[in-house]
Amino acid sequence: MKTLPSLLRTRAVLAAAVAATLAVTAPVRLVAAAPAPAPAEKPAAAACCPAPETTAAAKVADAPAACCTAAEAKAAAVAAPAPDAKPSCCAEAPPPAAPVGDRSIYQLDATWTNDAAAPVKLVSFRGQPVVVAMIFAQCEYACPVLVNDLKRLRAALPPASRELARFALVSFDTARDTPAALRTFRRRMELDERWTLLRGDTDAVAELAMLLGVKYKADARGQFAHSNLLTILDAGGEIVHQLAGLNSDVSETARVLARLLAPGIAHSSR
Amino acid sequence: MRASAPTTLRLALVFAAVAFAPCPARAAADFPPADMVLIPAGVYSPLLRTKDEPARVDVPAFLLDTRPVTNAELLAFVRAHPQWRRSRVSPLFADRGYLGHWAGDLELGPGAPADAPVVRLSWFAARAFAKAAGKRLPTTAEWERAAAAGFSSPDGATEPGFSAYVLGWLSRPTPAVFPAAGSGRPNIHGARDLHGLVWEWVDDFNTAMTTGESRADSGLERNLFCGAGAASARDVTDYAAFMRAGLRSSLRANYAVPNLGFRCARTLPAPAADPGAQ
Repeated sequence: MKTLPSLLRTRAVLAAAVAATLAVTAPVRLVAAAPAPAPAEKPAAAACCPAPETTAAAKVADAPAACCTAAEAKAAAVAAPAPDAKPSCCAEAPPPAAPVGDRSIYQLDATWTNDAAAPVKLVSFRGQPVVVAMIFAQCEYACPVLVNDLKRLRAALPPASRELARFALVSFDTARDTPAALRTFRRRMELDERWTLLRGDTDAVAELAMLLGVKYKADARGQFAHSNLLTILDAGGEIVHQLAGLNSDVSETARVLARLLAPGIAHSSR
Repeated sequence: MRASAPTTLRLALVFAAVAFAPCPARAAADFPPADMVLIPAGVYSPLLRTKDEPARVDVPAFLLDTRPVTNAELLAFVRAHPQWRRSRVSPLFADRGYLGHWAGDLELGPGAPADAPVVRLSWFAARAFAKAAGKRLPTTAEWERAAAAGFSSPDGATEPGFSAYVLGWLSRPTPAVFPAAGSGRPNIHGARDLHGLVWEWVDDFNTAMTTGESRADSGLERNLFCGAGAASARDVTDYAAFMRAGLRSSLRANYAVPNLGFRCARTLPAPAADPGAQ
């Protein structure tokens, strides 16, 4: 007669095998995937700065851009400007940004709040690598060590890279980590302007944690049990490296970060 | 002065209508919704926990879908939300196996009967579906609380035959094509197929913090997790609960697993109605 554990293994093995197989295709690897359309395209500045040959009336009817009203756009089109002259309403409009890659964490469109109570989207980090960790201000044990690990990481960088390294700490503690609490944390941890401290709503925190692979759980005392993970995002917001644990050897992580920061150094030294 | 007979009769009819009509605070058609059941308030004992975590967690009453979400329901969702179609979804939010059993973006095909539970969809997709339906995913505590019930008693563990039923399901390989969702026997709360059909996503699956590495430890690896301590299991004979805990620990949110589906929950509308714990 088969023993009970061996009977149970059938389903467990299947589930574990599938999970293990899928682990190979986990997003930590940079695998080229079929392109997917970017979510939430920014409003096209072009809609209010029509080229003379386009049917401006149709564009205006469809979707007036945020930077100008339909009437202004129509007037601009009717005035038939020279090809390089733009209506004044578009003078401040930024060029539409290219969509983020389909493996970029910046597809997470949530709005966070920093310790100055200003709104921040993760996509604002785009263009430079950033090291991300999730913490909470009341953490008694691991978070101060994790922050110290990030500082050790920075110290392990070549001198030219240290100025360019950016760090983002995101709080799990949606209830207690207000901007003021984060400011206190910043002072206590002695973090300069290269560090961004963020808080958000529970959905945003849950989704970011899932994307990074951070596990966390609130306990009865209001502390959070959580995995200790630091993540390097490249300039496009894709995960390129992670380091788990505390007081770990940061030398390999520093090498990866230094390589990512090198283009910035080359550019600034011209 | 004594009321006349017709007036008395009218009064009696009005009295009867008021006394025996459904309570106006609950329009009968709305609560619980036809596709959901009420899981009364109760207690959940986590299978694995550290000494800092409570042994028993109060779970308020909530609404739970009667059965898992079907292929047909998900098809309607992806029709309305193109970014969740198989060919368009971001790999960040669903891996390569996403809806792999369907014939196409908008075509179920023979591998995905309309009324079978939908599988191979990620946590992100399940959450998006739930949100679009005005619902959410159940938490681990809520799901386990609902699943602890037997067919004829509130506690399946003490119900003769219930454990054997669950273990019997675990001992069978996953079928290539699933039977209809909701065809299983209802438990005492009226929920069907919490056991016997597919594993189901929960909102906070990433709170299961075992490392799953039997060589390293049998509990939490201290250096990896803040707040770790020795974990102890509530009931070493509850194999199904170990299976679920192990599965949840191994999941990442974008995984599409061939035997993992989901159902939705909803918080009770305020004022919190609590028909009483069971």
